[in-house]
Amino acid sequence: MSFLAPSKLSRKKRGEGTLTEWVIEKLLFISAIFSVLVVFFILVFLFGKGYQIFEEVTLWEFLTGDKWDPVGQNIEEKPYYGAHPLIMGTLLVTLGAMAFAIPLGIGSAIFISEIAPPRIRDFLKTGTELLAGIPSVVYGLFGLIILTRWLQINFDKPTGETWLAGSILLGIMALPTIISVAEDAISSVGKELKEGSLALGATKWQTITKVIIPSSISGITAAVILGMGRAVGETMAVMMVTGNTPIVPEPITNVFASVKTLTGALGIEMGEAPVNSPHQHALFALAVVLFVIVLSINAGAMIIMKRIKERHYGIAGKKKGSRVLPEPIKNFTDSIKNFTGPIKRHMDTILGIFAGIILIWLLTSWFGIPMGLVIFFMVIGIHFFSQSLSPKNYQTMALGMVTLSIIIVLFLLGALLYYITAEGIHALSWEFLTESPRNCGREGGIYPAIIGTLYLTLGAIILAVPLGVGAGIYISEYAKETRVLKIIRAGIDNLNGTPSIVFGLFGYAFLVLYLGLGVSMIAGQITLALMVLPTIIRTTEEALKAVPHTLREGSLALGATKWETTRRVVLPPSMPGIITGIILSIGRAAGETAPIMFTAVVFSQPGLPNDPSDPVMALPYYILEMSMNIPGGQGNAAGAALVLLLLVLSFYLLAALIRKRFEKALKGFR
Amino acid sequence: MKSNIVIATKDLNLWYGDKQALENIDMSVREKSVTALIGPSGCGKSTLIRVFNRMNDIIDGCRIEGKVFFRGNDIYDPSEDVMELRSAIGMIFQKPNPFPKPIFENIAYGPRVHGINSKKKLEKIVEKCLKQAALWDEVNDWLGDTAMGLSGGQQQRLCIARALAIEPEIILMDEPTSSLDPLATSKIEDLIYELKEKYTVIIVTHNMQQAARVSDYTGFMYLGELIEFGETKQIFENPKEELTERYITGRFG
Repeated sequence: MSFLAPSKLSRKKRGEGTLTEWVIEKLLFISAIFSVLVVFFILVFLFGKGYQIFEEVTLWEFLTGDKWDPVGQNIEEKPYYGAHPLIMGTLLVTLGAMAFAIPLGIGSAIFISEIAPPRIRDFLKTGTELLAGIPSVVYGLFGLIILTRWLQINFDKPTGETWLAGSILLGIMALPTIISVAEDAISSVGKELKEGSLALGATKWQTITKVIIPSSISGITAAVILGMGRAVGETMAVMMVTGNTPIVPEPITNVFASVKTLTGALGIEMGEAPVNSPHQHALFALAVVLFVIVLSINAGAMIIMKRIKERHYGIAGKKKGSRVLPEPIKNFTDSIKNFTGPIKRHMDTILGIFAGIILIWLLTSWFGIPMGLVIFFMVIGIHFFSQSLSPKNYQTMALGMVTLSIIIVLFLLGALLYYITAEGIHALSWEFLTESPRNCGREGGIYPAIIGTLYLTLGAIILAVPLGVGAGIYISEYAKETRVLKIIRAGIDNLNGTPSIVFGLFGYAFLVLYLGLGVSMIAGQITLALMVLPTIIRTTEEALKAVPHTLREGSLALGATKWETTRRVVLPPSMPGIITGIILSIGRAAGETAPIMFTAVVFSQPGLPNDPSDPVMALPYYILEMSMNIPGGQGNAAGAALVLLLLVLSFYLLAALIRKRFEKALKGFR
Repeated sequence: MKSNIVIATKDLNLWYGDKQALENIDMSVREKSVTALIGPSGCGKSTLIRVFNRMNDIIDGCRIEGKVFFRGNDIYDPSEDVMELRSAIGMIFQKPNPFPKPIFENIAYGPRVHGINSKKKLEKIVEKCLKQAALWDEVNDWLGDTAMGLSGGQQQRLCIARALAIEPEIILMDEPTSSLDPLATSKIEDLIYELKEKYTVIIVTHNMQQAARVSDYTGFMYLGELIEFGETKQIFENPKEELTERYITGRFG
């Protein structure tokens, strides 16, 4: 008997196995490369349509022209394609949003990671995720019926639909991104550094500002930039509250001016612009501008995040012997120092300013005290205080400020949930849920919209799951660190950062017009699928990477092939993680408006769609139209918003529960 | 040559949640001496050393009964200022934990948080402390470089220098050489020997030879109790308790 004789356990035929392996690997590779193709196609279609505007105006005129009037409603009846007011609108609204979101977000992140006891920490994290899960059209509705009215009455203005309203709303929407990324960065600072500082007699606050925040400053910066990217790309909420006047505010600090953003112009005008008109071309050119802005913001964040990883690695990998760092690493750390040095040195000042902004905001908005006066007294007060305060009292004050910021965030979340419920609960009835709309939605119900949203979401998920999970498996299990993988990663990152309105435009240009699908359910499903694809890929990849390497080795050592190992050993324990990603994607797809508004939806439909080529109704679009364009429709809009909110939040809750179980299950082998 | 008692515990009990980690500890530490705490893993020696500068305060669910006297005051008295206490009692950790800052800033950190901002004063302090920690000659040209580039042993001596910069009376060392190679360990041991001229040192070690080499007094702990405490010579040559003898001779269990 030879050892080489095939045992009963051996494979039937060697060749069969390897062929299957080969086919599977190629299939997975194709699903991974798909993201790159999508990004490529988006660029081709946006550019292809957008560049035609330069038959009308030059690039320079387009970017700097201060008049945006593509329909030509002026006296000369001549259209103007000046994007400058729109670009300014986007920048101003985003800057304003950051002025709210940065202090509140970083303050909350500090509170969650450094101050809150464990149980409260979990609660706050869930709250933050809840804030992230609320659909943007619901934010918009809240802004429209609560925030703008409140601003109008409180500041005695003709309208509350202003730059300020847009900034506050976008600020709230950017908060979850900032809080969660900054919180991750802050909590990843080692316990030993904290102890080292405390053991020297530093106060908790000194430890936070002088050791913890400087050590995590890159992550915090990335958090801010990512929040900014979120704010720039947001469409629905912004266009519902900013008034949409394409004029640069005069003077530029007038926060009560009405502004129009790039996304607002796209969201409002795309539906009206005739196909292949200069107006439509101009809108595609705007989309290119928006795409470029968002991608460069996200690229900035990506570069900084990468630096953190490398630096953390530098700390973790205990160096021995060499005192002088190797040249490239030294250059690298120097460049970080140059970049963050000034920030570190003036940490106290910066935090002081943040705290100041919160206070100014509170005082001016709630008590109506003129801003100038507040700033004047603050400056004097801070100067006087910082001289005389002992570190301990300073700490009490600072911690108070940080606690205040988390209270404000919770208050905002509570207010939003409360008002949507309070306004929407009246509209809810059995009839509302089961009947078709009548009289422009003022009567009847939203049954077709609920079903339409479910159809769209389900279709999107069915399309996205095989591609996304396949790509995730390829990246985690098969891909080697080559240039191809870098390109795939870049494609996924870019797809992830692409604003939802850009997906909508792409779907319209490619699926509706180019492929001739028309405004149809299938076009909306494909567009939504593309949008959620990066989320599914990432969660799959992360879930697979969490499986310990020893399990794979164990299986391979028994003679299993790569695919057998993946399928039987790696996939089962990562299933909950993958399912979590899918459910999160369902929630996101159900709540999005921008990708479907030009590709799939109609405002009103008597019945349900018969086949995928019919258009459908959808909850987010119904809410948008009822609140913006139908007089007297806001009650039903709030009702539909409540339904949508419950739908989306139940998905998120489900995902949270699954993740909890997942964490418990994984504890076993860590 | 018996000197004054600088820190002492009385009927000290400590719990983490429901689990009791220290039981009825009575111990006195003499000024300008080296006191070593030895015992098997999990016997509470690290917990005990962290009682002295109240580092256990930052652990959730930690509860203390009994008294700890430092300069005649109970450090767990509510009126005591923890920050002040910790600036009088320095601590060196198991793993070197320099801040990801330049070498100079690492040492200047303590003085800075206690309000010293003059560049000149800080430079003096940094030089003095680095010399005391026997690190000056190795790093004086690289004070602006990040401390993360130093070797493990250098990092640990930097942490000692950093602790010296706040001019403590007592230096607590929690297994300071457990992550170092033999050469770096012997440098730290030499340093401990010099430090006791000016400071009181309390060191936790799992290495009995180290305790025998560097300490004047030794305490043997087991399952949260202080089994025996006395002069190092007596503990190692003529232990009173059978448990101590078995541990020291390696016949444990």
